[in-house]
Amino acid sequence: MPADNEKLDISTFLLSSVHDMKNSLGMIASYLEDALAEPGPTDTPAHQKTAQALYEAQRVNDHLIQLLALYKIDQTFYPFDPQDQPLADLVREAFARTQPLADSKKISLDFKCPEELYAWIDYELVFGVIVQALHNALHYANSKALLSIAARESGIVICVEDDGPGYPDFLLEQGNGVRRGISFGTGSTGLGLYFAGVVARLHKAGQNSGRIYLENGGSLGGGRFVMELP
Amino acid sequence: MNIRNLPPPDLTRTSFLIIEDFESMRAILRDILSRAGAKQVALAFNAANAINMLERQRYDVILCDLHLGHGKNGQDILEEARHRALLAPHAVWLMVSSEKASEMVTGTVESRPDDYLIKPITETLLFARLGRQMAKKQLLAPIEIAMREREYLKALRLAEAQIDNSRGQTPLTWELKRLKAELAMQSGEHDMAKTIYEEALSYRELPWARLGLAKIHYNENRFNDARRELKEITDGNRAYLEAHDWLARTLDKLGDQEGAQEVLQRALTTSPRAPLRQLQLGDIAQRRGEFDTAAFALKNSIELARNTPLKTSQAYVALSQVQLAQNDTDAALKTLSTLSIDMHDNAGARLLAEAMQIPVRIKTGERELAEKLARQLGPALKKEAQHLQPEALFNLAGPLLELGETETAGALMSSVIGNNHEHPEYLQRAQAIFTEAGLEDEGREVVQGAARAATDIMNRGVKLSREGKLEEAIKLTREARAKMPNNTRLLLNHAYLLIAWMERHGREAKLNEEARNCIEMARKLKPEEKRTGELLNRLELLGNDFSFSA
Repeated sequence: MPADNEKLDISTFLLSSVHDMKNSLGMIASYLEDALAEPGPTDTPAHQKTAQALYEAQRVNDHLIQLLALYKIDQTFYPFDPQDQPLADLVREAFARTQPLADSKKISLDFKCPEELYAWIDYELVFGVIVQALHNALHYANSKALLSIAARESGIVICVEDDGPGYPDFLLEQGNGVRRGISFGTGSTGLGLYFAGVVARLHKAGQNSGRIYLENGGSLGGGRFVMELP
Repeated sequence: MNIRNLPPPDLTRTSFLIIEDFESMRAILRDILSRAGAKQVALAFNAANAINMLERQRYDVILCDLHLGHGKNGQDILEEARHRALLAPHAVWLMVSSEKASEMVTGTVESRPDDYLIKPITETLLFARLGRQMAKKQLLAPIEIAMREREYLKALRLAEAQIDNSRGQTPLTWELKRLKAELAMQSGEHDMAKTIYEEALSYRELPWARLGLAKIHYNENRFNDARRELKEITDGNRAYLEAHDWLARTLDKLGDQEGAQEVLQRALTTSPRAPLRQLQLGDIAQRRGEFDTAAFALKNSIELARNTPLKTSQAYVALSQVQLAQNDTDAALKTLSTLSIDMHDNAGARLLAEAMQIPVRIKTGERELAEKLARQLGPALKKEAQHLQPEALFNLAGPLLELGETETAGALMSSVIGNNHEHPEYLQRAQAIFTEAGLEDEGREVVQGAARAATDIMNRGVKLSREGKLEEAIKLTREARAKMPNNTRLLLNHAYLLIAWMERHGREAKLNEEARNCIEMARKLKPEEKRTGELLNRLELLGNDFSFSA
């Protein structure tokens, strides 16, 4: 037992461990991507399992990033920094991050965004939301997923959709703000949705702030995640 | 429109330096670069190593990890490299980090890297950012060169031309506008900067733009307005560190030292590795008599600044004074001996390291030793006084009077007043030291005499200049400058006269340099003085063929 004066704030350990884990996961993901990119047959069980490992590694990585950001936002020291960003680059980077997984699962991943579209966003936060939504879509899609970003009257709208079975009712409620919190019955922590909601609301222009919602249907007939930013 | 990947950039002729402490990360970065044909990739694994390599070669691109284990981090390396001009004007500095950190939203153009990359680093991420930043730096290189030559007007004009060219809404437009605002501040063009900051704020609540407005208020002595703007940034978020520093400075000006201390402590919980902020906290806590807090902050400041360009004797002297106030004379002596070691290449620091022992020796009862030191150091102190920090001189004057070294004490105080004759608080403080030693009349003679002499020179200079006797005026202020090298008003008056002479008779390299040195010294002493920027502009316009309209 440490003496009283040796007691350390547990959050210090948590923070540094999360960093450490995140770095390791980044490495693991990069090695797995290299392995998947090796020439050779892609329908072997080993290949499938590597793809699954990559998905899991990226999922944990996404969660750690979100936890870190949420912690900082909660403790009021997240350096929120909206800049006028080229969204085509955002889409390209999201594509690069998710393409290996999509290829290995034989899902056709499409991206739509006007080349000259810009928006005042906190790049890292919005990127985190998009990548998480894409990973989710790739998990549930049958054969197709789509990320699209378009201009609206004031601001932009980001959509991630798939041709899977769609969101279950409890998630639709959670995503649309009807219900909040952890759903123990399904094992979903709701972290991703909560994070997306926080990120959307941080983006403000005058009286308007961003929002998210979930729906089923859309252009691919499955689940559809929408984030509107002013 | 569907988005497809961009072709990889051609990096066959680009030179890279990767600064990264993890071997596997170094390998990943190097592999990605070699896939785009990069042939010149140098690797550095720590800060010392990196500085060494930057000294020997001008790299096109630097990929640097923000966190490098113990010692200096990536931000320290970047600032040192910029400070020592170890980077080519077109060089791109990409800072790699595992998360978005508060370092990323602070700083001026001198301290910002070109971009941040958040891990994991993929090929697409790296190539997209590299392509964008390399193209940007090619465009900005002429502005960068002008800034290095300290031709801020020219840089400003070039930035404006670029903004006009880029027309549409590109991220570069806002980067240029932000740069233009910073250049306008350098040139004393506050209104131009204000317009840009207000335009930015009409789009979004942008911390850098609001901070810009606050700085303008501060520089124009509207401290209440500055406080209002700054609190809007810092309330509810402690990540914006630079705004905290400015708020502390503003509250200090408003007489709220308690508030200033709180703000600094708050910023330091977010980012403790900041030697100047620790020094600022130490200074305020010392003035408030919170010696434990002051000692802790000053020790941190000394540790953090050691082996960096930020090292100053001020922190050591202040720490020794705090330790003396805590009756820990051993610690005070130890601090001073550390000062003489850490700054052995600085004659002024060495002199202070010895001289500041005088008050300590008096307290330990070693009066003879104190007397001996005072006698021995007297001539050097008198000779160097005008270059030494006022705070140390104030702390020396009392003990010197106590030891009967009235003449030395008088010379020190006279120096301080000469450099600061327009600051009533300096005059009062000097007078109080004499009064306390029972030498009220002698004090009055020294203090009023020094202040009168300085005022007299200023008036005579102005009179001569009005009569058109520029040469005589220059001779007068030049001689005065030798005696009062840190008097902001004198420095700017002297620069003004030199510039006026050159405007009439043509540019002369030697005078030009003299004027520039005066202006830069004045800027160092009083960064907020608007006249500095205005004189810098006039100096720059001498012999230049471009005209400037606000």
